[in-house]
Amino acid sequence: MNPFYFGSTARRLFGLYEPASTVETPLRGAVLCYPWGHEYLCAHRAMRQLTTRLTSAGFHTLRFDYFGSGDSGGDMTDTDLTGWECDAALAVDEIQEIVGHAKITLIGLRLGAVIAARLAAQRNDIIDKLVLWDPVISGKEYLQQIGAADRDSMPIDADGNMELYGFPLTEIMIRDISSIQPECLISDSMRRVLTLVTERLPSHERFAQLGSRSELHSIEFMSDVRPWIEDTTNTGHLPIGALQRIVDWLT
Amino acid sequence: MIHKFIERPVLLGAHRSLVGIETSPVAPERQPKPALVILNTGIMHRIGHHRMFVSISRRLAQEGHATLRFDFSGIGDSPPRTDAMSPNDSALADIKEVVDWLNRERGAKGIILVGLCSGADHAMAYASTDRRVLGLILMDPTVPTTTRYYVHYVARRLVKLNNWISVLTGRSRLLRIMAEQVWWLVRSSTRTHQRVSSDLQHRAWLEKVHADCMRLSTQMLVVFSGDSVRQTYREQLIEAFPNVSFHNRLRVEHFKQSDHTFSLTNDRAKLFEVIVGWLKSMNKAPEPFVSSDSVRSELPAPAQTGVSVLR
Repeated sequence: MNPFYFGSTARRLFGLYEPASTVETPLRGAVLCYPWGHEYLCAHRAMRQLTTRLTSAGFHTLRFDYFGSGDSGGDMTDTDLTGWECDAALAVDEIQEIVGHAKITLIGLRLGAVIAARLAAQRNDIIDKLVLWDPVISGKEYLQQIGAADRDSMPIDADGNMELYGFPLTEIMIRDISSIQPECLISDSMRRVLTLVTERLPSHERFAQLGSRSELHSIEFMSDVRPWIEDTTNTGHLPIGALQRIVDWLT
Repeated sequence: MIHKFIERPVLLGAHRSLVGIETSPVAPERQPKPALVILNTGIMHRIGHHRMFVSISRRLAQEGHATLRFDFSGIGDSPPRTDAMSPNDSALADIKEVVDWLNRERGAKGIILVGLCSGADHAMAYASTDRRVLGLILMDPTVPTTTRYYVHYVARRLVKLNNWISVLTGRSRLLRIMAEQVWWLVRSSTRTHQRVSSDLQHRAWLEKVHADCMRLSTQMLVVFSGDSVRQTYREQLIEAFPNVSFHNRLRVEHFKQSDHTFSLTNDRAKLFEVIVGWLKSMNKAPEPFVSSDSVRSELPAPAQTGVSVLR
């Protein structure tokens, strides 16, 4: 395990590289894209468990924190999806540099899936496979889900940002998130894609229609723990079925 | 871009398996200040709820304090230990390894442990055994209940209409608890004795831990939130441990409007200011480390001089 900082002086990013525990040919790398805010905190444990399974399956794995999140530089208000996409691109470059010429898989959970999908569409020369785990398909639906649709009912910080479970949601983030639509996650230029859904939402209808146009895109629904949500009944529970399905699909 | 702090990832512990982040001032202090070690809250990884441990680390670096936030074995990014230690013993062993590392590798002149909830309890338990820990910053630590606590608790519930509705509809949690207590007393079962015995043992252990910290001259800042369910009034900590002399080493703050994890930015900003102010006012100058094997019973118990209870 190797924790390190990468990126520029102005935009330092925290990464945690874990080498594959088995030697595979060709070399395979995976970059994990976290969700945002409180969902990131809750899901951290599941993403760590996914890393452990991936390294056992022969993947060199990099988890990283977006700028303004986790252990990376920046404040929580320094966030926007375009910037996070650049951070993910740097993470892909980083693991390429660490591992050498490897096929890279991107795995994104919730808002992280949007980042992963956008990047995969641009970097199909490097990104071999893409896993979208309960992706945010409709930005407006997501804002409703996290309680941000009704500004009047949310606490507001001194800078006028809504506070969601202790995380400021800036106007820039609201704008970026609002623009997310099913089409953002589907691109003809993508290679193999698995969308794994454990929480079925109205937006999945449209997404499934779009995804069905491509033989390379499979959408699977399964029941499991939602690791990005924590309540008194599921603290510490892991979505074992979802984790295993992702690894099985990749190997 | 000018940074006001330096952050470095580190791998610590006997097996270099504990993942941590050091945050240091850009320029070393002429007079070294105690280093702060921030502990996990439950299974939350080292950044803490709402990233508060990252924010406070950076804030404290600007005040000249180095901090280290790390994950206990089996929490966050640190893999579990391979020995058969209980989770509690494992956490205490991890803290010792981190304090040893700061002493050995960074020459830290005294340690302050920081924890919220279970992290506060781990901090307190460890501090009672190691005189290198000069101070404790505890948020919502475990405090035993007192008679006055129950009076407050019941009085609070009596003034709420919803509670009366619950009583009238038979859904009152308080009534259910009271009924259970009466039932256990009437039955006078082994289970009742075990439960009472366990509570008393825990209370006695907590009292010993507090007494040991005071004998080691450990300074304490204790912050209670409005969500601290087992604590209802400011002096409860002192009244719960009548045999402990806190001297002038205890400061208690009560953030009545805050929830358990200080989720509002404004609450966290106030919390940070209290912490920074307390660190400035620590009246004990950092002392060079002594061996962690130092025996606390050799320390004389100072005379009682009073307790600061603020707000």
